Amino acid sequence: MTPKAPSIDFAAISPLIALLTGACVVLLLGLLRSRFARTQLVPGLTIVTLGATAGLAIWRWGENTSVLSASLRMDDLTLALTLLFVAGAIATVLLAWRGVAPREAGHGEFYCLLLATVLGMVVLVAAQNLVAVFIGYELLSIPLYVLCATELRREKSLESGLKYLIIGSVGSATLLYGLSFLYGATGSTDFSGIAAAVRVSDVGDDVLFLTGIGLTVTGLAFKASVAPFHQWTPDVYEGAPTPVTAFMAVATKAAAFGVFLRLFDVALIGTASTWAPALAVLALITIVVGNVGALGQSSLKRMLAYSSVAQAGYMLAGVVVSTQLGVQAVVFYLAAYLLMNLAAFAVIVVRERETDLGDDMAAMHGLGASRPWLAWPMTIAMLSLAGFPATAGFFGKINLIQAVVENDYAWLAVAIVLGSAISLAYYLRVIAAVWMRAPGETGRARAVPARLAASGRPLIAGGAPEADEAGGSRAAGDRSDKEPGAHAAGEGRAAEGPEPGGLPDPGHAAAAGRTEAADPGPAPAASAGSALGRLRQPEVVFVALICTVGTLFFGVYPSPLLDFARDAGDAFTNLF
Amino acid sequence: MDAVRTCAWMVLLFPLAGTVVIALLGRVLPGKAPGWVGTLAIAASFASAVATLVNLQALGEEERQVRAVAWDYANTVGVDAQLSLLVDPLSVLMILVVTGVSTLIHLYSVSYMGSDRGYRRFFAFLNFFVFSMLLLVLAGNFLILIVGWAFVGAASYMLISFWYRRTTATGAGIKAFVINVVGDVGLVIGTYFIFRGTGSLDFLITFDAVEEAFPRNDGDLVAGCIGLLVGAFAKSAQVPLHTWLPDAMEGPTPVSALIHAATMVTAGVYLIARMHPLFERAPAAADVGAIVGCVTLVIAATIAVVQTDLKRVIAYSTMSQIGYMVMGVSAGAYAAGLFHLMTHAFFKALLFMAAGSIIGAMAGSQDLDRMSGFRRAMPFTFGCFVIGGLALAGVPPFSGFFSKDEILTYVAARDDWHVVLAIFGYLGALLTAVYTFRMIFRAFLGEPSPEARELEGGHLHHAEVHTNPATGEVEDSDVGFPGPEHHIAEREGSMKIAMGMLAIGATFAGFLQIPGVTHILDTFLEPTFADSIYFEELKPSDTVTYGGLLLGAVLGLLGIAIAYALWVRDPEAPGRIRQRLHGLHGFLYRKWFFDELIDGVIVRPFAFFGRFARGTFERLVVNGLFVGGTTASVRAGSSAVRAAQSGFLRYYAALVLVGLAGLGFYFLVSAA
Amino acid sequence: MSSQLTVHLSILLFWPVAFATLGALAPRRVAPVLALIGALIPLGYAVLLLIDFDAGRSGSLQYVTDAEWIPDLGVRYKLGIDGLNLWLIALTTLLWAFSAVWVALRPTERPRLFAFHLGLAETAVLGAFLAQDLLLFVLFFDLMLVPFYFLVGQWGGPARVGATIKMVIYTLVGSLLMLAAAVATGVLAGEQSGSELTFVMSDLVRTSLPEDTQRWLFVAFALAFLIKMPAFPFHGWMPDAYRNMPLPVLAVFSAVLSKVAAYGFLRIVLPIFPDASVDFQTVLLIVGLVSIVYGSAMAFTTTEVRLILGYSSIAQLGFIVLGIFALRPEGGQGAILQMVNHGLVVAPLFFIVALLSERSAGSESIRDMGGLATRGPVLASLFLIIALATLAIPGSANFAGEFLILLGVFQTKLVIAVIAFTGVALASVYMLRAYIRTMHNRTPTNVASSDLSVRDGVVLVPVVLVILAFALYPQAALSDGEGGVKAAVRSAQAVSEGKQNPATAASAAPEVTP
Repeated sequence: MTPKAPSIDFAAISPLIALLTGACVVLLLGLLRSRFARTQLVPGLTIVTLGATAGLAIWRWGENTSVLSASLRMDDLTLALTLLFVAGAIATVLLAWRGVAPREAGHGEFYCLLLATVLGMVVLVAAQNLVAVFIGYELLSIPLYVLCATELRREKSLESGLKYLIIGSVGSATLLYGLSFLYGATGSTDFSGIAAAVRVSDVGDDVLFLTGIGLTVTGLAFKASVAPFHQWTPDVYEGAPTPVTAFMAVATKAAAFGVFLRLFDVALIGTASTWAPALAVLALITIVVGNVGALGQSSLKRMLAYSSVAQAGYMLAGVVVSTQLGVQAVVFYLAAYLLMNLAAFAVIVVRERETDLGDDMAAMHGLGASRPWLAWPMTIAMLSLAGFPATAGFFGKINLIQAVVENDYAWLAVAIVLGSAISLAYYLRVIAAVWMRAPGETGRARAVPARLAASGRPLIAGGAPEADEAGGSRAAGDRSDKEPGAHAAGEGRAAEGPEPGGLPDPGHAAAAGRTEAADPGPAPAASAGSALGRLRQPEVVFVALICTVGTLFFGVYPSPLLDFARDAGDAFTNLF
Repeated sequence: MDAVRTCAWMVLLFPLAGTVVIALLGRVLPGKAPGWVGTLAIAASFASAVATLVNLQALGEEERQVRAVAWDYANTVGVDAQLSLLVDPLSVLMILVVTGVSTLIHLYSVSYMGSDRGYRRFFAFLNFFVFSMLLLVLAGNFLILIVGWAFVGAASYMLISFWYRRTTATGAGIKAFVINVVGDVGLVIGTYFIFRGTGSLDFLITFDAVEEAFPRNDGDLVAGCIGLLVGAFAKSAQVPLHTWLPDAMEGPTPVSALIHAATMVTAGVYLIARMHPLFERAPAAADVGAIVGCVTLVIAATIAVVQTDLKRVIAYSTMSQIGYMVMGVSAGAYAAGLFHLMTHAFFKALLFMAAGSIIGAMAGSQDLDRMSGFRRAMPFTFGCFVIGGLALAGVPPFSGFFSKDEILTYVAARDDWHVVLAIFGYLGALLTAVYTFRMIFRAFLGEPSPEARELEGGHLHHAEVHTNPATGEVEDSDVGFPGPEHHIAEREGSMKIAMGMLAIGATFAGFLQIPGVTHILDTFLEPTFADSIYFEELKPSDTVTYGGLLLGAVLGLLGIAIAYALWVRDPEAPGRIRQRLHGLHGFLYRKWFFDELIDGVIVRPFAFFGRFARGTFERLVVNGLFVGGTTASVRAGSSAVRAAQSGFLRYYAALVLVGLAGLGFYFLVSAA
Repeated sequence: MSSQLTVHLSILLFWPVAFATLGALAPRRVAPVLALIGALIPLGYAVLLLIDFDAGRSGSLQYVTDAEWIPDLGVRYKLGIDGLNLWLIALTTLLWAFSAVWVALRPTERPRLFAFHLGLAETAVLGAFLAQDLLLFVLFFDLMLVPFYFLVGQWGGPARVGATIKMVIYTLVGSLLMLAAAVATGVLAGEQSGSELTFVMSDLVRTSLPEDTQRWLFVAFALAFLIKMPAFPFHGWMPDAYRNMPLPVLAVFSAVLSKVAAYGFLRIVLPIFPDASVDFQTVLLIVGLVSIVYGSAMAFTTTEVRLILGYSSIAQLGFIVLGIFALRPEGGQGAILQMVNHGLVVAPLFFIVALLSERSAGSESIRDMGGLATRGPVLASLFLIIALATLAIPGSANFAGEFLILLGVFQTKLVIAVIAFTGVALASVYMLRAYIRTMHNRTPTNVASSDLSVRDGVVLVPVVLVILAFALYPQAALSDGEGGVKAAVRSAQAVSEGKQNPATAASAAPEVTP
């Protein structure tokens, strides 16, 4: 048969179609008058859409087909990542259900944008040629810019949206530039074509080509928030509505690494010897910057932002080795990462709504005693992020280490473990806040931004400078040093690792701690972590618990998830 | 055979049982019952010892070395340590002496400690000590020997710091314990050296293997024997490990009598005798022992002349006498050394008991300067003290005379340079007589002291405030020890009996070995020393023997005469002499500055090191460098990152460009 | 690899955490009972194992559980007991029972959560001892920290949060390096032998890695273990942690966790990295030596009772390191015996610390104590017995241990052994100092001496009885341990002897694999 028009395998792209239609329907429903339709039906339908997508993805599992004249490849990697996106999106919907963002931005718009982003992600990771890559990239980015700014009445949300937009477009530009160079060097937009070109010609040493790679790496590094292209991450994460932050943390990262794998392990595999070292170094930098930056952050979202940078570093190591084991490790890690992050963000959402402390560390104080159902998810999530055994994170790390060691990147393995050693300093601090501090033990709400504004800085500046001015060497971090007990020898300091110098006299420390805890602190706003009372938000707690259970289950019996990841890895037939 | 084994085990078990019973049932036992239980336990042990002797003698000459094994103790990977005893004439002699003397001292203590609130504890400890001592002398291999060795050390510690409210007592206790541990360490190292050669810890196997294991004076063997000697010196208070013994007088007087005179401190002598096959294979080490013994006997005697604390004088005399024994056994005069060990046990225990009686009369004070004229007040004590003194001074026909002279003559007969040691020995003998009778004359003759008068008046002196004789600080006797009451032999039957029997021993024990007449010990010990090269051959010529006897007797009497001249006929004389030789006097009075020496060389440096480690090193290196350094660097990085995170997009963009430039640069380089 | 499954060890392993969980969910009244059952049954189980264990085959694993777990990562669920871990497991269960009874009789606040963490900790420790798969070991080794992090952080002293975070990070730095090294070991060994990826120790032992590879892997493992013990100079986390740890927890922590590290050397490092072990022998011996001297020096200058015990533990572990790196059976036997002994004495000592501070107005400084023996003869005698055992007086099992350890070192490095003996003497100094300053001398005004209550006796006496029994018959542990220890040190010993006189190397090399 000789088809005139490109034959379209609708079955293969059914997930895309589902998302697309869902997006439209949701948008239209959003226009309805009835409050119920807007607040309940729309999110419900979004979830249905996502569920359908997931179902279709599972249905197509194992069929590795190229569609749309081989511009997209709906193979297990695509489907696996799609499932991750969907999971992330569903969780986001649940987190946002009673949130401010949909109300202010309009439910229809909010959820429509969400679905559009997911669609973009799927396209991105399925892309088999440069054009498709860029389309997917933009389709994923633009709705996200908007989503970040959906809490219209909160300037920080707007600021983050704006920042993301600007930086993001720099990223897109760079990427586009890089892609065009690649095309120029190889004369092909298809990955396969590029790969072939690399194989036959000695384009591998071509300056144009290499510059292209460099620019492309940069562009993708933006989305994956790989240092030194990560700087938007903390600001945007902190500013954006928490459900959106959660979504970005888990889904965007997955998409970015999906295309990383595609581009480098398919199109550019021939020149691995040239780019692998570069990525390895980037990974190292990212691990260091992320972990070090997260120290002493008292805004949980900021902290998780930096931690996501660090995790990006770990996963980049998996990309570097460009083996199937590497791919498997990355996918597995993405999945585990999704579980533990969503659990953490869910808890943050709950507390944001219950206290006026927002995402401040203080909001977690005393949770262990009063709210075990929130405390345990947070605890498990943090332990898993830190890579403690009996959590999914542990095997994620082991898997990565195996991959890199097998490829003689032992030093990268050491970097990974040392990085996670540093990371303990801030993850354990959260657990300490949850279990080992009394609710009263909170000094400050949002006193700092005022000072920041006064100092003429943007609202969501790192804030570190002023912290360093204020705290000097004893600064426990940009804000935490104003946290009570931080002065008590050992506590605040130890928050960022073993304390230097002589051992503190416990007695004195205690005294200090008590006095600190006693005085209400600079801001009157924080009346004992002032719970605004418990809100009924079962769906959020549900997300937290599901993810926690998942983390633990795969921490004890990771095989299913490993098989899932291995299938995804097997999509790369060209890898060894 | 089995009879011997059974008896030997019973010898051990009775004291142990006594300890346990007193410790567990002490509360329910009424009044003085714990004391009697303890005494009976030891008496039973003595009976079993006698039974052991009988059964052993029933065996043939060459069978008189019986091993009794209970079970494997640490029998693994080539180490063959079992819980085993070795019963042979030597150990039997020791258990007889130990249990015999101990029984009497227990008897004495029943009354002497009668009013002390620590009564039960005292007897529990005392029984435990006897058990340990018996374990030591019965041990069948090095490991068990070391165990007994350490147990007696521990028991001695407990009893020295028995009155633990006194900081002086606890201080003396820890001092004694630590020095004894040093001894244990020496013993263990010595054992290692020997084990490395012979590959066994068992005595008999080792002794058989030593011939082919080591050539004569082999380095390892000498080192091993030196190690053993260190152990012996620490336990037997030989220079320079002797400083704990005088302080040990902090313990109750019966303790001094039993542990620090009669039994424990002689363990070193026993050890050297027991190890004679090794020492004879390593003469160099044996010579070291002989010399140290000789040095000790002289030094101790000189110190004893000037001390004013009654018990300490006797303590130094103990050191000196053990010096004789160590010298003897090291030189090969085994029978002589053990003979002196036995007689010394009798008369020294007797002296301490008598001293205890006087101290009782002085209401706890031990100061010679305050005592005088107790002769009429305490005739019995006086009598016993004089008998003990004569035996110690080596006046015929008392026991010490024969035993000491046998040692000296044998040493002299060994070879030329040993003669020098013997000469020093006789010098020591003179000093011995002097300081012994210095005590007697000052305590019993002369104007009766107030306490003595009071006692003649029929009333036993009581101190209204109790003070620590060492420091004079007031005791807090709320806990009741040392007890407010005091007891003297004149009034306590049990004390009388104990002292009386010892007096008999001190007087007649010498007849066991009258040169040319009797040699009961020699024949008895024969089986143990059958393999010795000296036991048979080493015999002084008759001229030496009888010349020695004569010389010894003369020196003894001469010493007494000197003492009489100085402290009775012309009581001012000592003062004058002290003025003239006050440098020498100070030197002797400060005990040759051994305490200061050890303190300066060992204690202070280590304490300094400890303080340095704690104060400086821990802070600067362990926390500062490691922890602090890491933290600081991490924090520096953290603040750098946060500094970059200014929040201004232009900075971000700049960094992006930097990163991009870096990447581009890398790729271009890799391309070129 | 045949998949055999005897359930015994799994029961032993998961019983504590199972009951701890039940106890945490159960109503207040039954919770303590469940916690006690959770701690006492494993003890009974361990005793049965002691009786049933076949000492003749102590060189080979018994009661093996071996099942597929994570095929993708080559991780197997393999448990087993041999001469190396049998008595350590008995020790673990005994001391956890001790601690459980302790907290049952003197409850803390939020007892159910406390019991839960305690049970989780026991499972983790048992797992580390039982694991016969390298990654499984690492997993449990890291897991051990979690419950202790919570126990210190929630029930600890004034500076608890700082102390606990410091402890976890400091020790995990080592553990994580070990994690990387463990994975690397498996992968590299797989490449070496060409067989498929496995972390089962018995297989890893068979493939001998190149020497330089062994070196860096050795360093990673050694670092983890030395920090965990802790040994000088990696003890920076110890003082804070000890100061702030609740005593019942500190008892098991100090008694058992350090032993896991020492055990790791015997189980993993010596057999799998024999060449590296020989190369680093002197270094490790010196580390042990310095730990002994330094720890002792600190122990007898500090005045906090907890820290006296803490630093004395450093010294004791120094001895154990010496024994292990004598690379001879005597040393290994002594080390195992000493691990058990030290655990047996240090746990009751911490209980006594609790009693002492009760009697001296809550202070734990020997400056504020004294004369406590006057009204408490029983307490005094028990304390004396334990103190003497701690300073390894001959006749205690501790001495048997030290005797073997130092004999082993003496046979290889005479000088080090002789210097190490100073530690023996110093031990007597600091232990007696602690005893005298607390029990003897005059009584300060704030001190109220009183004797051991029956309730406390129930906790203390059984352990003391065990100590006495063990002192009479250490052979029990020795004969069980012999085969295991020989197997553990064989290859390293062969290498070192080969190094000393190449003639025997040929004969020694073939029987490297046990």
